[in-house]
Amino acid sequence: MAIQRGRNKYSTPKSAGLIITSLIDFFSIVVIYLMKSYSSEGSILTNADNLVLPNSVATTKPKEIYLQIAATNDMILVDNVPVVPTDDVRRIPLDNPDPIITKLEEKLNAAYAQEQQMVKLGALNKIQGNVIIQMDKNLEFDVLFKIMNTCGKVGYNNMNFAVMEREQ
Amino acid sequence: MAKRPTKMVDDSGAHDLSIDLKPFINFLVVLVPVLMLSAEFAKIAIINLKLPEGRGSSPSIKQTKAPEQDDSDKLLLTMIITDSVVTLGAKGGFLPSMFYKEYHKYVARDDRTVEITVEYDPSNPNKPVINPKTKKPFHITERQEILLYVTDENRNIINCVYTKNGEMVTDVAGNALKEVPKMGDTIFLLTNPRRMVVVTNPSQYILRPLLAYDEMKNRLMKIKQRYPDVADANDIILAAENEVAYDKIVQLMDVARAAEFPNIAISKLRS
Repeated sequence: MAIQRGRNKYSTPKSAGLIITSLIDFFSIVVIYLMKSYSSEGSILTNADNLVLPNSVATTKPKEIYLQIAATNDMILVDNVPVVPTDDVRRIPLDNPDPIITKLEEKLNAAYAQEQQMVKLGALNKIQGNVIIQMDKNLEFDVLFKIMNTCGKVGYNNMNFAVMEREQ
Repeated sequence: MAKRPTKMVDDSGAHDLSIDLKPFINFLVVLVPVLMLSAEFAKIAIINLKLPEGRGSSPSIKQTKAPEQDDSDKLLLTMIITDSVVTLGAKGGFLPSMFYKEYHKYVARDDRTVEITVEYDPSNPNKPVINPKTKKPFHITERQEILLYVTDENRNIINCVYTKNGEMVTDVAGNALKEVPKMGDTIFLLTNPRRMVVVTNPSQYILRPLLAYDEMKNRLMKIKQRYPDVADANDIILAAENEVAYDKIVQLMDVARAAEFPNIAISKLRS
C-alpha cells in the first residue's frame, strides 16, 4: 500500500529531524577525557619550539616566574628573544676552564641589574637569582656547561632545568 | 452498540517521544573548549642543579675570609660520564668502570612506522643513519631514544635477569643476576629500598640486556648503603665529557635521585 501523507491517523512525519544522539555520545566522551586531563595548577613557562625536552621522573613544578633561557640546536634565547647562535657557543675553545658566552652574559647582566633595581625600590626582598633553562635533549654537555657557567658568573645561582614529566 | 472509549493516550506519535537535546548540546559545546583550555597534555617539571662550590658565587657577596674547605670526612662522590664508560669515583679512589654500548632509535618524522635502531660508534659520532625507506640520512631531531646496554671489557653485552615488569633482579650481594633463578631462590628486586622475593615461578623472570641506568642505580644504592653517615651523603657530582648528550645526563640525574642522592652538581672534566 502506498504511503499516504496526512490521510490516515498514522501519518509519517513531514520532515526527518536531525539525529544527534551520536554527536552527544562523542561530546560526552571528549568531556570525560578532558576532565581527566584537567589541571588547576598551570605553569608559568612559555615553551620554546624546535625544542624537545628530555623525559624525566622529576615531579617538582616551577613555583614562580623565573628568567627563561631556551637553548635549541640553532639559537639560544633569553625570554624568547634570540641572543646568540649555538654554533658561536660551540666555538668557544674546549680547554677554556672558565668559558663565558659574552652576549648571553650581557643580557643576563641587564636582567640582574633590573632585579637589583627592584630590590632597591623595595618590590623584592632580596635578589632571587632564579633561572629556568630549557634545553633540547640532543645538545652536548659542552653547551650546557657554558650556559651554566655564564649564569653562575652573573649571579643566577639557582638554576632549574625543564624536563618533560614521565610516569614511573 | 457501546462506543469504544477513545484512547486517552495518543500512541500514534511514538516516534516523537524523543527529548529535545538542543540545550544539552549547547552546554557541551561550551564545556568542551573551556576544558580544552585548561587541559594539560604534557607536564613540565624542573630539576634543580648547582655548580660545585667555589665557582659561580655571586660577585655581590663579599667574603671576608676564604671558606675553609674541610674535606676530611666528605665522600666527594663523582660520576664521570664519557661516551663509552661511566665511572664512579670518590675521595679514596675509583670503582671499576662500567662500559656500555649505545644504541640509538630513530623514528622517521613523516612516516612514524619507519624506525631503526643502530649502534652508535663514539669514534665516528657524525656518521649519518640512513632511513631504510627513503635512503636519505635521518636528522638528529628524529632520534627518539638512546638505549644504553652494559658490556664487559670485550664489548660483549651483559645479560641480566629482569622481571616481567621490567625491574632488575640482583642476588644477595647486590650483583646483577646473570642466570634465571630456580624455584626457592632468594633474590632482590632493584627498588628503593631493595625488595626481597622468594622465587615461586621461574617463568616470571627473563634474561634481557642489562640497561646501564639500572646497573648505575644498583651501584649507587650500594654506595649509599655503605656510607650513610658522611657529611655529603646526599651529594653527587656529575662530570661529563664535552660531547655527551644532555638527554643522557638527565637520565643519569634521575638515577642519582632515585638512589637518594638529590643534591646534584655539575662539573667539567679537565682533559
